[in-house]
Amino acid sequence: MLSLRLPVPLLNTLTPPNINIKPINITLSSQTHPPIVSKRISNTAPPSAAIREEGTAVAGESPESLPAELVAELMPKHVAVIMDGNGRWAKLRGLPESAGHRAGLKSLAKLAKLCGSWGVEVLTVFMFSTQNWLRPKEEVDPLLRLAETALISTTECMKMEGIRFSVIGDLSDAPRSLQRLVIGASKDTKHNSRLQLIVAASYSGKYDVVQACKSVAEKVKDGILHLDDINENIIEQELETKCTEFPYPDLLIRTGGDFRVSNFLMWQLSYTELYFTSVFWPDFGKDDFLQALISFQQRKRTYGRRESQ
Amino acid sequence: MDFRDTVHWLPLCIVTIRNLGLRLAWYFLQIIVSAWYSISVVGNLFESYFVSCGILKKYKSLHLGNVRYLAIVIESEEAYQISKVVKLLQWLDSIGITNVCLYDMNGVLKKSKETIFQKLKKAKSIEEVSEVVTHGAPDHMTLEFLSYVDGKEAVAKAANLIFVENLKQHNLGGELDVQVFLESHLNEALQIVGSKGPAPDLLLVYGPVRSHLGFPAWRLPYTEIIHMGSLNYMRYGSLIKAIYNFTKVHQNYGKFSLY
Repeated sequence: MLSLRLPVPLLNTLTPPNINIKPINITLSSQTHPPIVSKRISNTAPPSAAIREEGTAVAGESPESLPAELVAELMPKHVAVIMDGNGRWAKLRGLPESAGHRAGLKSLAKLAKLCGSWGVEVLTVFMFSTQNWLRPKEEVDPLLRLAETALISTTECMKMEGIRFSVIGDLSDAPRSLQRLVIGASKDTKHNSRLQLIVAASYSGKYDVVQACKSVAEKVKDGILHLDDINENIIEQELETKCTEFPYPDLLIRTGGDFRVSNFLMWQLSYTELYFTSVFWPDFGKDDFLQALISFQQRKRTYGRRESQ
Repeated sequence: MDFRDTVHWLPLCIVTIRNLGLRLAWYFLQIIVSAWYSISVVGNLFESYFVSCGILKKYKSLHLGNVRYLAIVIESEEAYQISKVVKLLQWLDSIGITNVCLYDMNGVLKKSKETIFQKLKKAKSIEEVSEVVTHGAPDHMTLEFLSYVDGKEAVAKAANLIFVENLKQHNLGGELDVQVFLESHLNEALQIVGSKGPAPDLLLVYGPVRSHLGFPAWRLPYTEIIHMGSLNYMRYGSLIKAIYNFTKVHQNYGKFSLY
């Protein structure tokens, strides 16, 4: 089956590009307007180091150049991802669920590399929600151990690759060892600026709003703020996404076939372009990301305003 | 031409023919894929028509138990087409959807409330009904109208309400407890400031962009979001299909392994 990216222009090349054999993405295709062909301006992303699949740096590995289908000026600054489908991916292959999560980490490494190469400034991924704590212990514990292993093996790599690592969420219920690793990785990479990787762990959108309100309440109690000053902007400034210069995702990608945001970054998603695909997260690769970006660049984002404004 | 010339010329010829063949194969593949896409679009149009006519049996009877509350987001520029909005609501009524929330960012639909209620005789405003009936078969459609002010602004007002109440208790000798903020308190405060409606099960977005355009985020944690395209091209068949597909969805709310 072919990767669906249409209408397909006739390329003026002597040798045809590789034909991608991939499952078809079930996107939220509008049944009205056909997709608009994006401008074909070839651009290369700023030079950047690459991340290997296993999370170890490879010196001298060249960055991915920006595909011709994409316009550099229209690249989203902040991409958010709900990485769904690890378990189903593993089940389809007769593998344990942990294999799905390990494969998912590889996909994350690849996506981080692409984001860094193609000019995305912030990548936020939904790793673990507050609701996930209600899953069986046999499922949660291996996931936490995997997170520790991944952090140990990738922190040096992130330091070398210019990736700033941040975590949002309430990790008070997480093992102390994981908490220490998170603090260490965040501290060691805080001066990096090529890409900010924000991992939402033990996070939910509602939790974020509630903790923001608590922060505001503390400031009122301490006399820093008056009650009359409180408005939506004050609350926004206290959300956990204050750790980044670009707190509002331009594009949200959800893999795995579900069409919902599942309590992720709810406050921040008002004008975010939503892209849902049936591809399972471990299978989400460069072509899938490219399709999501092409779809994003074709949309007219008016932020609720009229076109004439 | 001597033997040497032939030896040099032949591989070049083969390479040229091969490249030409590959290029032709690539063009042919692109034509097939383009054609397949066009067929797919036409197929969707026909499917929508067949669904509208009731020809496709599986869409004939919808089990609406999961669709207790449906939200419609319309891009504000398109929301001025009140006749289309009314038609959409009439379709929903005919399907059996009784609780609908209408949202547009700029409040165009709120301003057209009276016009909409004049055309939908059986509809009542959510303010008129004591509670939204989410089961059984009510004899009227309940409509809720929202705009941007009912989203983040409402949360700020609700938060303010909790602060004020807490400060009152502090002044009466109680301790000012900033940990008073829990999700449940915010839920209650939102009800008090007027954000009465429940979380929609399904949200249909009509407009050019695939975004919910500021719909009250507090109410969207597990809402299924479907982009329907422009309101100008809305089709009954597409509506039925979107609702039917939703009724087949299984939600585990993050608590259980999704297999």
